[in-house]
Amino acid sequence: MKPLKNTEKSAVVACLSLAAMALPGLMQDATAGRVEESYNADFQYGNYSESNQRINVDIFEGALSTPIGKSLTASVNLVRDTIAGASPVYNQKNANGTVKQILSGASPTSECGASICEQRDAVSSGLTYFFDAASLNVGGGFSREHDYTSRHFNTNLSLDLNKKLTTLNYGASVAFDDVEPSPSPWNSNPVGFKRSKTSQQYLLGVSQIIDKDSLLQSNMTFSYSTGYLSDPYKVVAFYDPDGPLLFGGTLYANTIKPDKRPEEKFQWAWLTQYIRHFGQLNDAALHVDYRFNTDDWGVNAHTAELGWHQPIGNGWQLIPRFRYYSQDRADFYQAVGNNLKATVYSSDYRLAGFGAISGGIKLAKEITDIKPLGQLKFQAGFEYYDHSAGYQLGGNNVGSFADFSYYLVTASFNLKF
Amino acid sequence: MNTLKPVLIVALALATAACTEVLPRQRGNLALSQMALTPDALEFSLRQHTAFSKEAASGGYGGSGGGCGCN
Repeated sequence: MKPLKNTEKSAVVACLSLAAMALPGLMQDATAGRVEESYNADFQYGNYSESNQRINVDIFEGALSTPIGKSLTASVNLVRDTIAGASPVYNQKNANGTVKQILSGASPTSECGASICEQRDAVSSGLTYFFDAASLNVGGGFSREHDYTSRHFNTNLSLDLNKKLTTLNYGASVAFDDVEPSPSPWNSNPVGFKRSKTSQQYLLGVSQIIDKDSLLQSNMTFSYSTGYLSDPYKVVAFYDPDGPLLFGGTLYANTIKPDKRPEEKFQWAWLTQYIRHFGQLNDAALHVDYRFNTDDWGVNAHTAELGWHQPIGNGWQLIPRFRYYSQDRADFYQAVGNNLKATVYSSDYRLAGFGAISGGIKLAKEITDIKPLGQLKFQAGFEYYDHSAGYQLGGNNVGSFADFSYYLVTASFNLKF
Repeated sequence: MNTLKPVLIVALALATAACTEVLPRQRGNLALSQMALTPDALEFSLRQHTAFSKEAASGGYGGSGGGCGCN
């Protein structure tokens, strides 16, 4: 290899030093310093609807942010989810070996006519202080359902380096959750049953302006959850291979036990986002995200997302989007239980091996010439999501009993003044 | 040395990329709303919450909220 000249060496050392400094970090926005100097009011409506009369959620959300003095921004966010429908409870094995998913079903006497009628109210707020080359955010929130309460606190520090071409991000959050399951045919826990869990998440990341048309962000998060991580409304049906209960051609479960998962979970996620501007295509922007996850329950997952933001003139923008997700099963997942001696077990479809393909389109219109208001933006989007065991990377032959799909419709407006 | 060669080439390439000078007045394209890492924060958090309640993997994006009794 040809030796480098001294000037080349010093340039390389300088650049490598910068690159090394960038390694420990990450960040929210490539624009350094104070981002918002205006009041911001947002309202969003969403409708989430699953196939087969399962869960349907109406979402109403409002957010407000306001500058305080020259260096501080305060924000508050309110959400109300109204949830109705049915949810998978366990899987049943038939005499011929096929598996069938059992839903919680309808409940004509309940207040919403379904087995699940729930409302979630959440509030969160935060304060961000902007320094010359850094910003510090602290926040917290509270969410309440009939049977579930969650409180969280979070903080984030962003540091700008390298003439604000590089930003490092450090984040930490903690959530304290309590669950007290409501009476239900699928809740076999005694009255007064109440459990808690604590989740911590730490984030390190860096965002880098690559050139005048592109930027890259790379984040790592480390999460640790401890406490009651099971689902009180799910059960596992066990079929003993050595003593099947087969009567009149029908196979019966030997026993049914409540979902039981380990009481600790460590998760690691690595996300990389790349954004590129295309000036010759009317300022279009390409967004590419890839995320790898792994956890000590044995789940490895890949998520890839592509978005294309196409301005089409007069403040209109069209945004097609595509996402692919794949995970393999947790070590203790069993479609139906077959080992009565197992200490941890779950048949929750979310811990199975599967893949999901989703695609959607969004339309946005920005109006900037309305006085005395600064700017008004309307957005409406539609997304279709298809969950299938067969979409898992590398294939999966467990069958289609847990397959489902959903669509998500959103409409929002944002006002800056 | 031969084994170090590709490592050095990659390190040099990364260092060069990290050192591209983009002056503040050249950052107009990067400041466009469609170039933001999260162009629509409210919709982003709704989609993240939905994915969190239907998939085992989560994290990576930061800005975590609390949990839910999601079915």
